[in-house]
Amino acid sequence: MAHVVSPLDQPSNYKDSQTRNIDRRAQNEMLAKSTTLYIGNLSFYTTEEQIYELFTKCASPEDGGGIKRIIMGLDRNTRTPCGFCFVEYYTHAEALASMRYVSGTKLDERIIRCDLDLGYKEGRQFGRGKKWRTAQRMEIERRREVEERYADAQDGPGAVAGGGGDWKEAEGSGNESRLKRGRSPEDEGDRLGQRSRLDEPDVDAERM
Amino acid sequence: MSYDRPYHRGGGNRRRQHRDDYDDRRRDVYESPADKLKTAIIKLGEVDVLEELPVLEKQIREFSPLVIPNLSEAFRIAVTEQPFKIPYYAALLRRLHDSTEETPTVDGPSLGKQILEDFWKGFQAYLDKLAWRETRLCIHFFAHLTVAKLISTDSMFALLQSFTAVLEEFGVSNGRAKKAAVCAAEGLMIGGPILKPSSTEHVQEIINAIQAYNDSATSPKWLIAPVVKMYSDEASAPNTDELLDTVLQALRTLDESDFTETATSFSQPYTTYADPDLSTFTPYDLPSVLVPPEVIELDGLSTDSGEDSQVKKEEWPEYFLRLFDNDITPDPKTPAGYAVRTGILDILDIFEVNRKECARLLLEYPKWTIPGTFKPKPGGAVVPDPVPGKDWQLESTIIENVLGAYFILPESPYKSIYYIGVITELCKLSPSTVGPAVGKSIRKLYGTLADGLDVEVARRFAEWFAVHMSNFGFQWVWKEWIPDLSLNIQHPKRAFMRRALEFEIRLSYHDRILKTLPPEMQAPEGHTIGEQAPGPDFEYDDPAKPHHDAAQSVLNLFRGRAEAKDVISHLETLKATLETSDDGGIVNADVLIRSIAMQSLLHIGSRSFSHLLNAIERYLPLLRSIASGGASSAGGSGNPEAKADILTASAAFWKHNRHMVAIVFDKLMQYQIVDPTDVVGWTFINRAEIRELSESTGPLSLSAFEWDLLKGALDKANGRVMIARRKVATLRKEDDDTRARVKASGGADGNAMDVDADVKADEAPAIDSPALTIALKAFASLTREQKGALSRTLDGFVSCLAPAATDSNPNPHSRLVISEEGWNDRAGWEKDQWNAWETWGWYRQFCRSYAPYLRNYSTTLFTVSFAKFEGSTDPAAELLKKTWNVATGQE
Repeated sequence: MAHVVSPLDQPSNYKDSQTRNIDRRAQNEMLAKSTTLYIGNLSFYTTEEQIYELFTKCASPEDGGGIKRIIMGLDRNTRTPCGFCFVEYYTHAEALASMRYVSGTKLDERIIRCDLDLGYKEGRQFGRGKKWRTAQRMEIERRREVEERYADAQDGPGAVAGGGGDWKEAEGSGNESRLKRGRSPEDEGDRLGQRSRLDEPDVDAERM
Repeated sequence: MSYDRPYHRGGGNRRRQHRDDYDDRRRDVYESPADKLKTAIIKLGEVDVLEELPVLEKQIREFSPLVIPNLSEAFRIAVTEQPFKIPYYAALLRRLHDSTEETPTVDGPSLGKQILEDFWKGFQAYLDKLAWRETRLCIHFFAHLTVAKLISTDSMFALLQSFTAVLEEFGVSNGRAKKAAVCAAEGLMIGGPILKPSSTEHVQEIINAIQAYNDSATSPKWLIAPVVKMYSDEASAPNTDELLDTVLQALRTLDESDFTETATSFSQPYTTYADPDLSTFTPYDLPSVLVPPEVIELDGLSTDSGEDSQVKKEEWPEYFLRLFDNDITPDPKTPAGYAVRTGILDILDIFEVNRKECARLLLEYPKWTIPGTFKPKPGGAVVPDPVPGKDWQLESTIIENVLGAYFILPESPYKSIYYIGVITELCKLSPSTVGPAVGKSIRKLYGTLADGLDVEVARRFAEWFAVHMSNFGFQWVWKEWIPDLSLNIQHPKRAFMRRALEFEIRLSYHDRILKTLPPEMQAPEGHTIGEQAPGPDFEYDDPAKPHHDAAQSVLNLFRGRAEAKDVISHLETLKATLETSDDGGIVNADVLIRSIAMQSLLHIGSRSFSHLLNAIERYLPLLRSIASGGASSAGGSGNPEAKADILTASAAFWKHNRHMVAIVFDKLMQYQIVDPTDVVGWTFINRAEIRELSESTGPLSLSAFEWDLLKGALDKANGRVMIARRKVATLRKEDDDTRARVKASGGADGNAMDVDADVKADEAPAIDSPALTIALKAFASLTREQKGALSRTLDGFVSCLAPAATDSNPNPHSRLVISEEGWNDRAGWEKDQWNAWETWGWYRQFCRSYAPYLRNYSTTLFTVSFAKFEGSTDPAAELLKKTWNVATGQE
């Protein structure tokens, strides 16, 4: 059914900078099978479990599906979440369902955007560079907890779990931290402050 | 709650604008003049449909060269994708049947007739592939055309009768019969005004056929009604209605009035046109059709014991929940009410691909209904006089129907999140009118929770509530439910509050949600929300606790990224030490070692979902060794006690966070450390060991959380069979292709002239490739596991609900809550009664939701689980069996 309205599950024209040299047809073929989504405009505080909760609603476990893994996008320099992630399902249909039902709705009180993706590759978890570091410097202190969570993220292979497929050598170190944010009251201001940057022009920098 | 503020608070600058445009963009493609005409037909009525009709007619007539298939395709798309416009397309086709002065029909059929003839081919194609929705909407179109006198009444009757013929097929499935009945009924509702004068008899035949079918299919209704009366065979509860029941009632009402009410229920814009000149015009005779039989794709795969393993869904009647009175929203049992409901449900179904457009079209729906159907928009230019018996509230009607579809049991046609998303979009489009309808719906549903609202419906209600609030700033007026804190802790209303808040926290975080609550609910004694963020609980963290040092030594190995084999040998040493320690040794050192190892591993993986996956993946050999009971790391399906210990340790570690328990269990199954059957068994038996986790401590029973664990395990087992089935199919096809290639190339090959060789190739039994052999083995073992998980679940329910007096911790109320007397006394129910009632509810959901799978194993499973009730008059046993029999289609 696509004569009267355009379906929401079409991939956008964005292309990952690291796959720029794949020709368009090959890319479209890959997207037509893709099980991976790029999720943008996340709050820096949104946890993988929150993402898991929302995106599970598009999963079809009875059909052999489910969430295979989540790769949090991290700032190249500070190693902290910087507003995007990849969600990888086991099936293509689940990725399409997310495009139709979840993209453009709120998670953690921000409107998130989903896009079909060619698939996660090592290194893509690192997003914005210098520019963002400057913008973030002021809040670094308050975000210690989030940083700790990802303190063991590595550039090299193994930073990201395979999710049940092929399994790779993983990094696992032992800093302790609680899963959910134990947020202090003053964080609220910070959180609100962040909202004003919602329209930061650089928001999709990592994908251009 | 307030929806008054616009959804895009503040941030609506250029960038945002750009992105929204971007989402809705259409690709620029070159449109030929023929395409443009097609688009014009499809877009009919963007401004004022009645004024546009003559313009469009002229545009079509003047177009050259006219290609009929192009026009009929436009009509087909228009009719099947915009059913709300069907009457106007009938009017357009009526106009195209006339000859005009400019284009007199010199010879041959009129333009309209040519289009109709070609349109028919498309209908035939829809029917051939059993595209039911498209088929039904084409029938709407034909019925309107019959009233417009373009189609002969005899051929229209014949068409409808080919659908009622389906109802008399031997062994017709509920799904097929339901859809065929609706096709015939809706065709008759629309075509009735002209069909009945032509043959009262045929009208009766059609109605009677549907009635006869509906009378024969009553038992499933009892199992899928959204409001439950367990003690009664009666399915009908107030404020619920079933699709075929409503169809029949609406149809009978129409018939009694000789279909005069059709004109007040369905638009008929063509009735103002003059009748075609019958001296020169012959109505079109629809060719006769046969509804093709259902295609069952047999892949010939059966389970070990020869049971069929094919899964076939959509076999149930459809119940809808009503939330408002008949003066607020239409009663679907009336003709006009039925027309509105089916109109709304069609939009919801067709526009699933684009929920934003769906919401927009729903709010525009009154444009296509008979004036006066809905209350006019405030501030509208012309305020028509309200039509008595109509004048309904649009937003309440939409929300009631969207929720009605969302709550269909055993599962909604689309994923929950679709319906939730549509309601979100509706609220974004018109916050001030949709918001109050949503609020009223929530209050109404909340009010019915203790009056038998099905547990699965209640769970979906909580899910919708949480996701909806997550999209609208978590603004709910919780304080209006403060008085309900005096109800028993397991009362459905209190269970709902806890559940909704738990789901909200999963989407947000504890402090944020805590702040939305009034102090009475924040207080620990309110038992509504946890006092703290749901973090992990590492049992051995505290140096004062026993085995702290042992756990630290294991933890240090993990932190130092020790190899799995080193951890395994360390655990063995540790076990030996514990067994020979000074205080006489630990009674069960295995259990303790498993707990220490699992909790320590989860501890290093506790920071995020990815950390969990990394920890599991890194230490898979360790996990396999633990699961095998430590005997060897090669152990096949592991040791059941060891696997139960793994689950217990994981659940203990995450006892404050049930979301994480479900995630960890899922991943342990994914990595095949434990099997779905282990999770099922654990949920029924061992779970009770961890008091913090379970709402239903005390006698054995299940709440929504335990159901989620069961569902996770069963879906995993079923999903694996599905994957294995697909794999076998693919490999078989590859094998066949290879064989065909070999054969073909053999013939072309000069050396293969030998006749004997050819014969040999033909006679040799097809030998499966090694890959296929492996896949078939996997399939066999996975169906075994599937059967095991289903059987274990059934057994679990049986022992919860019909416990023998000798069972450990039986719930004494499982029999009381299913009696009429017991149910009527529910105002005085306490924890155990409500728990027992909820457990019965999950048993019903288990039977109906997994019926497609259970049916394949029904004989074996029945014997295994119910044999002990042979000759028993235990009411619990009776109800267990009855529920099972209805679900598996034996009653």
